[in-house]
Amino acid sequence: MNNILIYLVIVPLATAFLIPFVDIFSNKARKILVGFSALLEFSIGIYIIISNYGEITEHTFFLKYYLGNWIPPIGITLSMDMLSLFFSTLISVSLLFIITYSIGFIGHHEGKYYVLLFLIWAAMHGIVLTGDIFNLDVFLELMLITSAPLVAFKRNRNGTEAAIKYMFFGAIGGLFIFIGVILVYFNLGTLNFADIAQSFSLLPLFSKKMIIIFFLIGIFIKLGIFPFHFWLSKAHSACPSSISALLSGVIVKVYIYVFIRLFFNVFGFDILRETGLDIIIIVIALTSSILGHVLALSENDIKRMLAYSTVANLGIIVAVLTLNTKLAILAGLLHVMAHLLMKVSLFTATGYLLQFTPSHKLQDLKGVAYKNIILFAGFTLTAAGMIGLPPMIGFASKWHILQAFLDRSFHWGSIIVILGTIIAFFYYIKYIIYGFKTISIGPPERFRLILSVFYRERVVTNIAILFAIAVVVVGVFFKLSYGPIEGAANAVMNPSIYIESILGG
Amino acid sequence: MINHIVFIFIFLLGFYAILVKKSLIKMVIGLNIMEGAIFYWFIAITDRGGIIPIVQSTQVAFNLNDPIPQALILTGIVIGASTSAFLLTLIIELNKFTDSTNPDQLGGIIED
Repeated sequence: MNNILIYLVIVPLATAFLIPFVDIFSNKARKILVGFSALLEFSIGIYIIISNYGEITEHTFFLKYYLGNWIPPIGITLSMDMLSLFFSTLISVSLLFIITYSIGFIGHHEGKYYVLLFLIWAAMHGIVLTGDIFNLDVFLELMLITSAPLVAFKRNRNGTEAAIKYMFFGAIGGLFIFIGVILVYFNLGTLNFADIAQSFSLLPLFSKKMIIIFFLIGIFIKLGIFPFHFWLSKAHSACPSSISALLSGVIVKVYIYVFIRLFFNVFGFDILRETGLDIIIIVIALTSSILGHVLALSENDIKRMLAYSTVANLGIIVAVLTLNTKLAILAGLLHVMAHLLMKVSLFTATGYLLQFTPSHKLQDLKGVAYKNIILFAGFTLTAAGMIGLPPMIGFASKWHILQAFLDRSFHWGSIIVILGTIIAFFYYIKYIIYGFKTISIGPPERFRLILSVFYRERVVTNIAILFAIAVVVVGVFFKLSYGPIEGAANAVMNPSIYIESILGG
Repeated sequence: MINHIVFIFIFLLGFYAILVKKSLIKMVIGLNIMEGAIFYWFIAITDRGGIIPIVQSTQVAFNLNDPIPQALILTGIVIGASTSAFLLTLIIELNKFTDSTNPDQLGGIIED
């Protein structure tokens, strides 16, 4: 029992509902509240890590909280094992910095913006912590409904279209997950993760197949894996850059968490292997990866290029996780962290650079590097990390992914990773070359305000540079992150630890 | 068995509306039909013909209906209502820009 866990959900939820009331009285009080709550939520995460440091280093870390003191399998259980801790830390760190970035970046309708941002934060922590499958579905829907207004935040035609698409596909994916939840309850009479995991293998094969397929379709629609990839690029590029960073960097990682938790711990990986679905998932995910890279190469718009690159990387992550060896899961989780850092860094830098260009098009980016040469150097370094060049974190994760594919002698996978790397080199180098091109004719100064008013340049540039530094530093010292990631991989590989810790009182 | 068949029929009806109809509002209605099919189906398959589950302490009940599906469906209805309310808001917003609710203006399914 540990009631610190519930505060991880309650603090952002309470903040979200407090902001409108505070906003009536004064703008300044709202700003203080936003900063204070973000720091409070972040420090709760830090407190959990510090107070359980010994257990984390020994990989025996497990916290749980029974809501309303209902003992499982009846009530809702919040639990945090190494996997949840890994994702929770990533969410807290990135959201703290995204909120700081937003303070400088978003200049209109700030009250509504932070309400939605904190609701997303609460939903993400809910997803990561919950031990109840219907609760998971509710939090997924909460995350969808609160992130869609942010997609339409610019209130122009493009944003509205993107939000409609995002909502339709998200809602249909949610329906599939809901059918899966219903089938689970109908067949097993329980909603608790650990309880489902205990008795799932006893079900007849047909029921198991149906449940697995509904959950897979739902998650793949929401993740934007190959047959459903078409909505993602528009949704991730039509919003303000801070939201692009959130959607493309953090929210998709939460869906990856759902994929890992459900298919490795709750349903067990055996069912995927029995039915031969694991090979199909790998093939689909690799197709998605190569398609994402090709579409990114053909794209002429920097934010859409980054969004397609997300499709490509998600494909790689899902494929490597489905290999289901210790090395593969370690590589997958490392790439989750790497892609989160790099994508947030790229989008925050892009958000700054696009303030000086008339559109998102490649031709308009000419000479944009000279606006802030340090920030563009950070952009270049991160892009190099995305390609997979050595000192950056992208190299470490790609190296592990290649090793994981070769280890299972899945040579097609490694060929596609290398091919993707080569394609990625071409589409990133295009933007970097254009950025350094000097403008020969005409006045270079063109300060354009899009809807996000740009009033604190220093905050925005500093956060973007900070993320670029993080990409390099974490890349150099990536061996230090081995410990927690290995613990998380252990938690993924041994579902019995999770089941016993929850049901064992 | 009849429950499953009716569920699949209504669900596919809603899916047909989403795929074929040339109006975003009709597509939202299709989404609602799909949701409604799921709600109906879940209530129907978990019905045991017992009494309604809030039971007085003096009452001795042998045959109770499971209350959990009803709680889940209630939550599902709330989610569905907020989803369609927000979608309709977005469609009104889009209508201001383009004066139509045709889904083809979203650029088709494959393009972007």
